[in-house]
Amino acid sequence: MSPPTLGSPPTLTSTAAIRLRPRASVLLAVTSLVGAAGFCWPLLIHGRATANLAHSADAPWLFVAVLPLLLAVVLGELAEGSLDAKAIALLGILAACGAALRIPSPGVAGFEPVFFLLIPAGRVLGRGFGFVLGAVTIAASALITGGIGPWLPFQMFGAAWMGFGAGCLPPAKGKAELVLLAGYAAVSALLYGTLLNLWFWPFGAGTTTSFSFVPGAGLVHNLHSFILFDVTTSLGFDIPRAVTNGALVLVLGRPVLAALRRASRRAAFDVPVVYD
Amino acid sequence: MIRFTDVTFTYAEADEPTLRGIDLAIEEGELCVVVGQTGSGKTTLLRAINGLVPHFTGGRLSGDVRVDGRSTREYPPRELADVVGVVGQNPAASFVTDVVEDELAYTMENLGIAPTVMRRRVEDTLDLLGLHELRSRPLSTLSGGQQQRVAIGAVLTASPRVLVLDEPTSALDPAAAEEVLASLTRLVHDLGMTVVLAEHRLERVIPFADRMVLVPGRGDPLVVGTTADVMATSPVAPPIVELARLAGWRPVPLSVRDARRLADPLRRRLATVPAPAPAPAPVLEPVPLPVAIAEQLSVSFGEVVALDGVDLQVRPGEVVAVMGRNGSGKSTLLAQLAGLRKPTKGTVHVLGQAPTDLPPRRLIKQVGLVPQDAGMLLYGETVADECATADHETGLAPGTTAAMLETVLPGMPMGHHPRDLSEGQRLALALAIVLAPAPPLVLLDEPTRGLDYPSKYRLVELLRKMAAGGDCIVVATHDVELAAQVATRAVVLAEGEVVSDGVARDVVCHSPVFAPQVAKVLAPDPWLTVDEVRSALAGAAP
Repeated sequence: MSPPTLGSPPTLTSTAAIRLRPRASVLLAVTSLVGAAGFCWPLLIHGRATANLAHSADAPWLFVAVLPLLLAVVLGELAEGSLDAKAIALLGILAACGAALRIPSPGVAGFEPVFFLLIPAGRVLGRGFGFVLGAVTIAASALITGGIGPWLPFQMFGAAWMGFGAGCLPPAKGKAELVLLAGYAAVSALLYGTLLNLWFWPFGAGTTTSFSFVPGAGLVHNLHSFILFDVTTSLGFDIPRAVTNGALVLVLGRPVLAALRRASRRAAFDVPVVYD
Repeated sequence: MIRFTDVTFTYAEADEPTLRGIDLAIEEGELCVVVGQTGSGKTTLLRAINGLVPHFTGGRLSGDVRVDGRSTREYPPRELADVVGVVGQNPAASFVTDVVEDELAYTMENLGIAPTVMRRRVEDTLDLLGLHELRSRPLSTLSGGQQQRVAIGAVLTASPRVLVLDEPTSALDPAAAEEVLASLTRLVHDLGMTVVLAEHRLERVIPFADRMVLVPGRGDPLVVGTTADVMATSPVAPPIVELARLAGWRPVPLSVRDARRLADPLRRRLATVPAPAPAPAPVLEPVPLPVAIAEQLSVSFGEVVALDGVDLQVRPGEVVAVMGRNGSGKSTLLAQLAGLRKPTKGTVHVLGQAPTDLPPRRLIKQVGLVPQDAGMLLYGETVADECATADHETGLAPGTTAAMLETVLPGMPMGHHPRDLSEGQRLALALAIVLAPAPPLVLLDEPTRGLDYPSKYRLVELLRKMAAGGDCIVVATHDVELAAQVATRAVVLAEGEVVSDGVARDVVCHSPVFAPQVAKVLAPDPWLTVDEVRSALAGAAP
């Protein structure tokens, strides 16, 4: 029997299954900044400083080494105190489902539904939960699919931001909410693809082609090269992925949101425990 | 062992406390039964023992709950897991693994117990609960009673000193319930374990209970005492206790044996009044044609013969109780009448047609079947949603099902998810969906599972009203009290054959298995229910 007060149907769009306390928020912001630098440094590097250019070959590897540590610190801080048994249970189940969703993705024409669960979950359970779920889902799916490599921390960051962003969307209800989430799913899947290309680009495109990264060539030149690189190599993969993810949210979003809201209502995340 | 000191608890959204100023001490080795109506706060009380209230649910708790000297204020539920084991209503909901042995070991793995100790405890638990033959069986292939015993075993492996069970038998049929209760009494008597048990099925538990806690609800003070004392005034009571109150027996007898010893004066008094009327079957003139006819009906599943040459006619106004042990063919017979499956041999006709020939939309207007697991009919997101879908599918005017629900069980929470409802509420919802198209033949499979006494009483009233209106009702049930109260006719099945078919009173009174408690106490006179005795005595009052 459920306690009689779990009553009224959900009116809130989001709870906070993992509360972001001030210290965790600051840490998350700083880490995200470093993460962003890890992605964007090729565009931002200052051309005239030769000392910078000298490191342009080993910079990606520096970030590969640093980002997992940073992620570990953030996840550790989030877990400290504010992650209770209920949140862990939900996190475990959703991450497992997310990871399982990655198995059937054949990689053909970008059908990769791994983000589909992440977005409704971030929406319903809050941005802190979305962040952790994104990171954990990718890590778990990498273990299953053998996808562990230097790209993993970048993928984890990308998915974590995606979940975080889903928790930050403005309030909306019914069809409007579905459209909002589907739009977000499509756009964020596209962004995710672009970001990961950005990480891959400096060494993935060699040094000699017309869309290669040229250290110190300036933002405009490199941005132009990067866009060329992005469009020619992976947009044919990223756009179908964005479309499938958006469509999945449109079609299956309603029951998934309802199930998540019911779980979050029963787990009573927002209800304080008071001892007199 | 368990001590509540001035405990008051209020859920976050509630205005009134659910528990108010509770003082309660449960000693080691006691079997304490918690009774109370649905929604009175039994579950809250039980969950406070291991700190799920308030740590899981949220809310405001004052006072102190201590288990084995540990306060739930300082120890969250996970740190009480080695002292308190909690078992819920639906065992399948608590399973994590797929196989019996794995499930038993899972709790210990979480507590980080050494593999050699784990191995030994798994063996001990298998023996203690008589599960050794099932050790490598997949959980999904077990019966309900076996599943519940595995769920109890899974918490026992942590060797807790207190076992808390919240209505562990309400989703089980009586045989399985008995199995589980027998295991529990064994734990109390052989191991000195403290057991706190919330239960609806009081007639089976009270002979074993050392003490009883009555939760009156609305935050009123608890009534705590010996089973006989609490039963003397409890608003929820099994028939034997109601009979005792009527006859003024003190102390209240808790078993048929005790009651029979006290019943002699009552029997002699009843001998002076006319015996109860044969059966309250409405005699309609002219005798109406049967609504459902089964002739030489046989059904086999592969080698297994589920029904073997059954002949049955059901006429308007009849309530037929189909009884018999598990696997005797009760559910198969209902499935045949509902047209779920073609008969292997013989025929079934409902209103002159074979139900398997009817298109579904017409069929649901002629036969309504409420399955054993009422949740099987429910797949909407809210109760209101469920009602609207039912109206739409059957082509009824919008609101018909909701109106029916209001008569079946007033005040349903329309915004709830069907799975968040209690067993009784879920049954009411399924019943409303089935009854809304007003089928002349209604089939109910084990409808009293998990119902408390008031819900059961409401169901009986409803069935009587429907029968009086000329509907035919067929109830497959183990619940002899239900059969005693509503059935006009009883059909007993064994091994797929009809072994007796006749007026309900004659069939059940003369069977030691199917006789209700009142009949057992007052045998050889054919009294079935407390109400009958009451009205007979009132009529004979000097």
